Amino acid sequence: MIEYAYLVALIPFAASLIMLFAAKEDPHSPAPWIGIVAMAVCLGLSLSILSAVASGSVDLPVEKNWDWFSFAASVDGKPFFHGMKVGTLIDGPAALLMVVVTLVSLMVQIYSIAYMHGDKRFKRYFAFVSFFTASMLGLVISSNLLVAFMSWELMGLASYLLIGFWFEKDGPCEAQKKAFMTTKLGDSGLYLALLFIFAKVGSFQLSQIKQFYAMGYMPAGAAVVIAIGLLFGAMGKSAQAPLFVWLPDAMEGPTPGSALIHAATMVAAGIFLVARTFFVFQAAPVVMDAAAWIGCATAFLAASMALVSYDIKRVLAFSTISQLGFMMCALGVGGYTAGLFHLTTHAFFKALLFLAAGSVIHSVHTNDMRLMGGLSRKMPVTFVTMFLATCAIAGVPYLSGAYSKDMILANVWTRNPAMFWIMLTTACMTAFYMFRLVFLTFTGADRDHEKHHHAHESPFLMTGPLVLLAFLSLVSGYVLSRNGLIHALLPKPALSAVTATPSTSHAEHAAAAPAAAHPEHQAAAAAPSHEIASASRHHGESHDGHLPGWLHYLLMAAIAGSILLSYMFYKGPDYALALAFKSNLSPLFTLLDRRWFFDDAFDALVKFCDRVAALAFWIDSNVVDRIFVDGWGLLMRIVSEISNVLDALLVDRTVDRFGGVTVGSGVLLRSLVEDGQIQEYLLYVAIAFSLAATLILIY
Amino acid sequence: MTLAHYMGVAAALFLIGIFGALTRRNIIGILMSIELMFNAANINLAAFNRFLHPVGVTGQTLALFVITVAAAEIVVGLALLLAIYRGTNTVYAEDYNLLKG
Amino acid sequence: MIEQIIFYSLSLVAVGSALGVVLHRNAVHSSLFLGLSLAAVAGLYALLGADFLFGAQIMVYVSGIAVLVMFVVMLLGRASDLHLRQVNERWPWALLVCAVAAVGMLKIVGLFAAKTAQTSGYPATHAIGRLMLGEWLLPFEMISLVLLAALFGAVFFTRAENAQ
Repeated sequence: MIEYAYLVALIPFAASLIMLFAAKEDPHSPAPWIGIVAMAVCLGLSLSILSAVASGSVDLPVEKNWDWFSFAASVDGKPFFHGMKVGTLIDGPAALLMVVVTLVSLMVQIYSIAYMHGDKRFKRYFAFVSFFTASMLGLVISSNLLVAFMSWELMGLASYLLIGFWFEKDGPCEAQKKAFMTTKLGDSGLYLALLFIFAKVGSFQLSQIKQFYAMGYMPAGAAVVIAIGLLFGAMGKSAQAPLFVWLPDAMEGPTPGSALIHAATMVAAGIFLVARTFFVFQAAPVVMDAAAWIGCATAFLAASMALVSYDIKRVLAFSTISQLGFMMCALGVGGYTAGLFHLTTHAFFKALLFLAAGSVIHSVHTNDMRLMGGLSRKMPVTFVTMFLATCAIAGVPYLSGAYSKDMILANVWTRNPAMFWIMLTTACMTAFYMFRLVFLTFTGADRDHEKHHHAHESPFLMTGPLVLLAFLSLVSGYVLSRNGLIHALLPKPALSAVTATPSTSHAEHAAAAPAAAHPEHQAAAAAPSHEIASASRHHGESHDGHLPGWLHYLLMAAIAGSILLSYMFYKGPDYALALAFKSNLSPLFTLLDRRWFFDDAFDALVKFCDRVAALAFWIDSNVVDRIFVDGWGLLMRIVSEISNVLDALLVDRTVDRFGGVTVGSGVLLRSLVEDGQIQEYLLYVAIAFSLAATLILIY
Repeated sequence: MTLAHYMGVAAALFLIGIFGALTRRNIIGILMSIELMFNAANINLAAFNRFLHPVGVTGQTLALFVITVAAAEIVVGLALLLAIYRGTNTVYAEDYNLLKG
Repeated sequence: MIEQIIFYSLSLVAVGSALGVVLHRNAVHSSLFLGLSLAAVAGLYALLGADFLFGAQIMVYVSGIAVLVMFVVMLLGRASDLHLRQVNERWPWALLVCAVAAVGMLKIVGLFAAKTAQTSGYPATHAIGRLMLGEWLLPFEMISLVLLAALFGAVFFTRAENAQ
């Protein structure tokens, strides 16, 4: 089945086209089932591919390419023929992420049938969701960076369309523009990186670029630029600081859309890109360190912002940003497997959280947690699933989130202890605010009786996906880390060669460690059916991805403590303790509430650019146009006037003089001859002729 | 008699004809001088025929043509003179100054 | 010997009467002198052996053109004109022209000083007729057209304005 991997991207695309053009817009249209069936087929296909990959019966990576277009260019003066290809590249991460994307998309679509019921653009929503899924899958399976970039941009489009789905309101319109612009800012970096890659390597094929790096042909400067570009692109899409400002506002879109895009899949695209092009980062260790710190900062900042937010979806948005920071940090410190593992588990429990939040919102018709409370009795299924998801994200042991988060923290600890303490604090904050969310929403007495009265459990189409995702949140972590499956699926790429000028100690460290493991790792990569023992040889993954014992217990204690703290603050109907804190620390609260003034910074930047543009326009219209254009015109007029005068004075006078001379000479000659006397004329003719004839005859 | 003799006679007649054409006041006098010039040319033609190209009569034939043309010309000239005389009542060349201007 | 005498006397008559044509005050005398000059030239033709030309000259020029000129002179001449000076005031210039031209002509004439007649003249009428109607047929016809045109012109220009 693995050779039909390309269908996984094409089927949802076809479904979205069918739904968009062939079905009528109808609030109760049956068209969405086309998308759901398509997605189910893709899920089946992805599961078969994943099982094939996991069982080790396939020789990874499986690449299949078709010729797309070709052109001739000259390289160093010699003609060279570039053949661009489109194709699929299936390896561990791709197979795993295919399953994740198709599964979450399927859950979201089933859920949306009930959630978007009666919306006037019901059918279009599903077309957009299918379209998005198709482009995300296109990114995941693509063997070619150019096609991946195209899918990247299409995802941006789908995100734009879904954020601004209810475009009659101002909020979604502003949010969709903000999202598009901010991600586009990141995409400029990605584009730059692609240009550099093509200029240096001459191809966009991932396998060829990897080979290029492996042979050490990439000069150090270009490697850094490419890595920075790719990182910038990832920062835009995956909402790293400072380009995260669009994600909280993106919550204006429908909740299932947010679940799919801004929680589980699209925002993971940046992380996935970094992972796919991990060899690029390995060749530029400076950028990898930068990525780690950016991820760390993002995680911390976002978690802090989530502490003070009352909108249920906003909290989840900040939580997403924070977890993405975790993933980026993991990749930055070299924890390839940890980062992608967390991506997988996060997809499940974050999608669950969003869908459950959507269920709550659908029931009480508000996002504000201050108006909720005590909903656990009214919406038991939602409560239980959301509780489980919160436990997972907080890092409660044996749930999926704990495994992945532990692995990340373990990697961070070995690399940078300072970073570890920040991440530990962030993990505590995560536990705190997530449980705050659960407590405020579901426990205690209700704060708004009217809403509480009308609250009800959501229909099966909504709770069904919740249950399935909850199940996955429970077991996926355990299943994947059992028998080192996750290490088999997501082997860290070996660093075969560094750049032309190895520089920092990190590079040497990273080079030395895998160099020793290189022969074994090569064997491991060549024959994926390796034993569990090889998992221990993944240096840089630090001791099988586990924290040293005492640290592990410290983490668990810290998380437990955070949960307890949260319970104390928010258990009551009025969270008086929290409010007291808030009033005492109001400057801090303002800082967090205003999202660390990032929005204001961007706003100022935009205003500044606007001023610059206005200035440039003023210069252009008043200075440049006046001097160069109008001035030139004036100069031309003056020149032509001068030319005209000269012409009249000099040229015309000369012409007239010539004429005058001719006339004068004629008159003069005529005055010699008496007027009208024919014989006189004849005499002159005779004189001239005789003279001429005689002279000729004589001489 | 050499050719030079005949040519000399012709030359003399021609020159006299030129003198007359340039100096005679009477239009008829001018026309007569022109006739003299024609005759001079004819003498030359006949002489050349006799002295230079004795075989054939080309010169004489050409002289014949000249005579014919001269006749035609003087006829027209006299006719014109008569017409002008009717208008201006004078036959003197200096009075024919209508080209003045 | 005889030839020389005849030649010199004929040329003397010709040149002399030509001078008479251009110098005489009396227009009628001029025209008579013209007739005489033309006749002398006819004699020169005869001396050259051009018999037909001699006849044509007499018939056309002397009895035709000279008579015509005489007619017109008498028609247009006034008795009062007979004593007027007939040579205009530009005669020195004309003399100069003639002198200059004479120089050139004499030079050319001098070239042929040694040329003498090789053969004697023979009757040319037959040959002229052959030439006219043979090789020179086209000029012959053209000449007739010229004469026709002259006739037309003469008739046209001397027509009285009867139409008015």
